This record gives sequence, structure tokens and C-alpha cells, in this order.
Amino acid sequence: MVELSMPVKWLLRLLAVGYVLMLVVVPVGTIAQEAFADGAGAFFSMFTDPHVLGALWLSAQVAVQAVLINLVFGVTISILLVRYEFPGKRLLSALIDLPMSVSPVVVGLALLLVYNGRTGWLGEPLEEWGFQIIFSGPGMVMATCFVALPLVIREVVPVLTEIGDDQEQAARSLGANARQTFWRITLPAIKWAVVYGVVLSLARSLGEFGAVKIVSGNIVDQTQTATLLVETQYQSFEQASAYAISFVLAFVSVVCIVVVSILRPKEGH
Amino acid sequence: MSIDVRNITRTYGDFYALDDVSVALPTGQLTALLGPSGGGKSTLLRIIAGLDTADSGSVSIEGVDATKLPPQKRNVGFVFQHYAAFKHMSVAKNVAFGLEIRKRPKVEVKKRVGELLELVHLSPFADRMPSQLSGGQRQRMALARALAVEPTVLLLDEPFGALDAKVRKELREWLRRLHDEVHVTTVFVTHDQEEAMEVADEIVVINGGRIEQVGSPDELYDQPANDFVMGFLGEVTRLGHVQLRPHDIEVAVGPGRAGAHAGRVTRLQRVGFEVRLLVELESVEPGREVAPVSVSVTRSHAHALDLELGARVWLTPAVGATTVPAMVAV
Amino acid sequence: MTAAPALEAPTRPTPRRRARSGNTLTAGSALGLGVAVTWFSLLVLIPLTAIVITAGERGWAGYWDTITNPQTLAAVRLTVGQSLLVTAVNVVMGTLIAWVLVRDRFWGRSVLDVVIDIPFALPTIVAGLVLLGLYGPNSPIGVDWAYTERAVTLALAFVTLPFVVRAVQPVLGELEHDVEEAAASLGASRTTILRRIVLPALVPAIAAGAALSFARAISEYGSLVLLSGNRPFETEVVSVRVLSHIENGSTASAAAVASLMLVVALTVIVVLDVIQRRVSRHG
Repeated sequence: MVELSMPVKWLLRLLAVGYVLMLVVVPVGTIAQEAFADGAGAFFSMFTDPHVLGALWLSAQVAVQAVLINLVFGVTISILLVRYEFPGKRLLSALIDLPMSVSPVVVGLALLLVYNGRTGWLGEPLEEWGFQIIFSGPGMVMATCFVALPLVIREVVPVLTEIGDDQEQAARSLGANARQTFWRITLPAIKWAVVYGVVLSLARSLGEFGAVKIVSGNIVDQTQTATLLVETQYQSFEQASAYAISFVLAFVSVVCIVVVSILRPKEGH
Repeated sequence: MSIDVRNITRTYGDFYALDDVSVALPTGQLTALLGPSGGGKSTLLRIIAGLDTADSGSVSIEGVDATKLPPQKRNVGFVFQHYAAFKHMSVAKNVAFGLEIRKRPKVEVKKRVGELLELVHLSPFADRMPSQLSGGQRQRMALARALAVEPTVLLLDEPFGALDAKVRKELREWLRRLHDEVHVTTVFVTHDQEEAMEVADEIVVINGGRIEQVGSPDELYDQPANDFVMGFLGEVTRLGHVQLRPHDIEVAVGPGRAGAHAGRVTRLQRVGFEVRLLVELESVEPGREVAPVSVSVTRSHAHALDLELGARVWLTPAVGATTVPAMVAV
Repeated sequence: MTAAPALEAPTRPTPRRRARSGNTLTAGSALGLGVAVTWFSLLVLIPLTAIVITAGERGWAGYWDTITNPQTLAAVRLTVGQSLLVTAVNVVMGTLIAWVLVRDRFWGRSVLDVVIDIPFALPTIVAGLVLLGLYGPNSPIGVDWAYTERAVTLALAFVTLPFVVRAVQPVLGELEHDVEEAAASLGASRTTILRRIVLPALVPAIAAGAALSFARAISEYGSLVLLSGNRPFETEVVSVRVLSHIENGSTASAAAVASLMLVVALTVIVVLDVIQRRVSRHG
């Protein structure tokens, strides 16, 4: 293994730490400072505002629904991609990653085009049956699902591949049917990967902004999520409130990241 | 017949893993599927278990056509090379799995698991996790797990392949004794001829997707059907127009016998009680390279003949030696 | 390297033993696949197709007019330029950080490892706000980059930080040390080992990370909203262009610009697929 000389080692260390410090740590630190600039009392008083509470509650609802859908979809698709052969598998496996690189704005536009109640291909018939998707809950859940779609799959697929199908085949040869094999063997084996996927999806879902902004219409007290409220408050010079909400969102996402990093090393032991 | 395999063909793309294979395995026996890796023996075992499906042909187990049955309905026990231990379950839970799936009463499950752990000498480890066991212990657990459901047939896919030499040897003898106790029809896959010869009642030699020969270990050793079987089951050398085992060659220090091949000892190596010789034959046909013949004699015999490097010797096949015609050298 | 297999395997291809894990579909799994693909189509495929079709609604001339509009072109130029710049920064800094995380041992290394993921999980709007705190008008360090091109660079560098690091890190970790030792025993110097042995092994991972980072930079929106000011011809990026078309009710124009971004996204997916396949073939 290449051993670098001491000065080079320290140079690299300083560069890496310095870059991350200035780009991430210090800026994220300032948010705590800003949020508590006028003391903890002022910070907590922000959360007596029903707009703020409503927006946070809406964000949580949308995120939980999207995560549940992505959980079921993600685990199903992962098992199909790893354990089965079918035509179009390679295409599907490549397309699954697409939401990672599509702009949230494009996601919002795409859903708007298909599901808006006036001209949308599917939105118009659905509206006639009384289902509104755009500018209401379902649209926001769909937009959030879209952007967080590959996260569970990306965690589960490598683990499924690595454990192989020996244990599942052993279960089959011992008389377990497909359902029993899934619940008793496969799911316990991929449990942690599913947990990481869910936690990452939750963080991503709570934080979604661009796509939700387009499909929700940002209607105050109805479809205004916490991230949308941050923008609105900041632009209407309610900066203290914007920072307080941001702090809550940042806190949740940092907790998610820390939880995943604590759980992760258990894998494979 | 316990397992009856008829005209099984299995291809992967244009590769024939099994090519029209038929074989019948009698009840209660311990059979080895022996052959080089990639020869199709594991595929055959997996098709019997229902873990792989044949392109054509049929499998019946105890007279029941199993060709279309999923693995969980065949009542076979399967032991995998890499144990396939359920990592998140204790040893006892692993063994109990098949019984719990079959919804047996708790008391019965507990009793049966106890008996089986006793049988495989793992009783003290019942509450351990598989990761706390050695390879040999894991494989015994896998065996107990497969036996728990009282399978009609027990199938083992290179069961000792992942273990080190010493444990391998122990488990091999133990499997033989276990089979004598339990008497379940057992089929195991191996590429180790010594393992097959030592453990099995009957050996099926499979190579290149076809069955080369079926027979008892003695039959295969003494009457190999062709030079592949002969070569796979032990050392062979070529003397004139036949292939034979190195210890089946008579060595003389003077001419005398008709058809003796004269040659010179070019290498002499003592290995324990035997002496291995390489003998370069004198002109058989001019202009044709012939590989030196390897011969093995006992130490005392070598002593009596006063063999040394460079000595001139005459070689003949021993009386009653197993020989097969040598393929024409290219 | 290419001659070796020919020596071992005379005629037959080796059987693909692991390939057997690919089962054909059973009734239950086929149903699962059907439901999953239907949902995927409703959520992703049909909406993205709608963008392409809407973009083409006004014909080629209309499409061309929209994307060659000077303000749009300026936005494209800015976005592509900044994305390339940030990707280049990531290639260097990301590889460097990955190296430090894998090969170096110092107090706080594990914290650094966790911090790398924060930009991935932090809501983008919060990311913008956070950067504004340090590099905005009230900057405690006295640099006010708000509403300038620097702000765009900064926001993109923030959100794309994890990609190259996370792509390179596992590959570097699995790199076999004895290869480096073998090179050293053959007389290679440290720089030669890094240049000839380590770096080539990392290239596919760096490329994959760079592709993801570029795609993310091109498509970024949330972190720029508060930070860049979205000034036309100066700090307006493509995604903001799309949004303002939507807000003006001009979905066809929005779709036209969005289709450009979609092409980039698809290209990146293809590039990643190619890299992955090349790696698994050689690996």
C-alpha cells in the first residue's frame, strides 16, 4: 500500500477537511445560530403559528405516504430484478435510476402535463370521476414518490445480490411456499438494507421542493409544505420563521443520516 | 427404484449441461454423482430437487411423477455446498424450519429437533447462531435441517467442498455411518474420486453432460467402461497399445517374456512404501515420440531387483491387470 | 490476458453456474411485475413521454424558436458551464476526499464520512438558505456572493459533493494492497504506483461519479431559488427557465426546454450503464 510522506498526508487531510468544512459544516452550523439568534423562546414561539404547524404536518403526511408506496414498490422491483429473468429487464433496471438524474422541475412539469384536470391525458377523465390529482394531495405524493423512487431499490438490490438465493432455495426444498419464503427468509435477510432505504427516502421526501412546488400550486394552508413555506417566508421577509423551519428540516435530515451511518456497519456480521 | 430420471436434457444457451441423461437410483442406497466440475452433475441433482428445470425429460421420485412439482412439494432434503444456513435463526430454529412450515405441534417440533441435534452431535449448540459455528458444524446443522422433514430422498451438492481436508475426511466417514443408521435414499455430488469410492454404494460418473458409467466403486475401478472413467478414478499410464494403472505393470531386469517393452529408468522416486519409476521405452516405432511410462513397485520389490537410475528394464502388463485400449495418440 | 482462457478451456464454454438464479416468472411474480411496471409507467414513463410530445406540439420551428431564445440560451450556457466546472472540482476534490476517508486515519474521520451525506439529505431549499448564511449579504466572513455566478457554483458544488466521493470510496477500499506492493517490489516509485496502478483502477468509479454529479448539477433547482436571485442572462439556470414558462402558462415552451434536460438525464443513464457493464466484464 502506498504510504504518503507526512507533509503530503497532512496537505491532503487539510484540503479534504477544509473543503467540507467551508462547504457544508460551517454553513449548516450557521442555520442553528440563525434559528436561535433571538433565543430558544423566540425559536419555539415560531411553532405556535398554525401556518407553520400545518405545513410541517402536511410535509410529514406526504412524506410518509410516499415512503410507504416506495417501500412496497422498491422491495418488489428489487426482488424481480435480482431473482427473475424477463424480457426488458435490462431496460427496466436502467430506467429505474432515471428519477435520480431528472430535474425536480421536469418531474413537476411531467406530472402536471398528464394529470392536470383540464387538459391532462389522465387528469381530465380522473377529474370527471371526481379525483383531483394536481393541486392536491395525490399529486404531491406522486411527485415525492418520483424523486425518491430509486433509493430503496439502490439499497436492497446489492444486498439481495450478495446473499444469493441459497437460503431461499433451502427454504423451498424444506417445504416453504413463495410467501413463507419471503416473510421468513428473504425479508429478515434484507431487513437493514430496507431500513436504510426507508430512512434515506424519508429524508429525501421531507425535503422535496421543486417538483412539489409545481404540482401543489403552493396554496396556503392547503398544499403548502414546509419547504415551500421556507421560500415564501424568506421572500416575504419573515426570515426568523424561515430559519426556524429550516432548522427543523435540517435537524431531521441530519438525524436520518446519522441513524443510517450508525446502523450500516452492522451489515454482514 | 426411488429416483427415476429419464431423458433429461438441460441447456444454457448453446451449452449442453445435460444431454439426454437417464439413470435409476435404487431405494435406500448412498449414490455418488462423480465427475469433473462443469460436467453436469450438480445440474442433475438440482433438477431432481426441483431447484432447476429440465428442458425435456422426466423425473419421478418413489413412483410419483415429480417433473412438474415445485421443490416444496417434492419432499426432498437438500444440502448445499455453502450450507445455506438461515443466518438470522439459531441452530435449533434452522432445524425446526421445515417442521414449522408443516405446522407440526410445538411439542413434537421440539422433540424432533432435540433428536436430530443429538444425531449430528450439535446438542450443545442449539441456541447458537450459524455464524458462531465452524464450517463442519454448519454443514451438520444443514444436514439435520434437511433430515428433519423426513425426506424421501436426501440430496447433497458437494457437501464437503467448502471444508478443509481433515474435516472433510471426518465428515465423509460420519456421513457413511449416518446413512447406515438412517437409511434414507441419498445422492451426493462430488468431484473427488476418493470421496466417492470411500462413501458410496454406487457411483454414477458424469462428464460433458452425459453418463459415462454406473456401478459400484469396485466395478468402476476394475472394469472401467472407457479411458475417461479409468483416468478419472486413478492414475493411468500407457504401455504399448493399452492404458493401465502404474502398479499393474510387471518389471523384469532381463528379457524373457513375450511382448515385453524394453526401456531405461530415467527417474526413480521413493514415496513411503512405494517406489515410482519413469521408464523411457526404447524405439517403439522410429520417429514417434512416446511418453515415458510410469510404474510403481513396492520398496522391497525394487530392492530385490536392484533398480537404480539408468538401469535397463523390461515391462509387461501384470496378469489380470485392468486395461483399456489406448486412444491413438495425435 | 486474452490468451490465458484459451489455454485452459479447449472447446466448451464454461457453464454459467450462477446464471441459474434467474428464474422464469411464476404466476405470482408476473402479477407483481405487472403492477410494478404499471405504477412505474403511470408515475414516470407516461409523464416523461408527455414532455416529449408536448415539446413537439408546435412543430420543429416552434421548438427551435423556444430553445434558441436568447434568454434560454444564456441559461443553458450558464448551467452547462457551471455544471462542467463543478464536476471538474468534484473529480479532484471528491477523489481526494475519498482517498483521505479510506487511506488516512485521524480523529474526526468518521464524522467527515457522515457529513459527506448531508448535502444529499438536506432539503435543497434549506441548502440554499444555509449557504446564504455564510456567503450571503450578512456573511460573517465578509464574502457576499449572493445573486452572482459564484453563488450558482457554490450551490451546485454543495448538492453534488457526495457523488464522486461515494462512487470512488468503495472501489478504493477494495483495491488489493498486494498489487501496489507488487508494483513497489518491481521498483515503481510512489507517484508511478499512484499514476499507473491506483488511478487507472479508479477511473470507472470517478467517471460514474462525475456523470451523476453532472446530471444533478444540470437539474438543480431548489438550492438556487434563494441564493442566485434568478436574474435573467446572469444567474438564471435552465430549471428556473422551465419554471417561469410554467408559471406563465406556456407549457409547450416549458416542455421544450425540459426536453433538453431530459436528454442529458437519459445520456447520463446510458453512460452509467456502459461504465457498469465494462467494469463487470473486466472485474
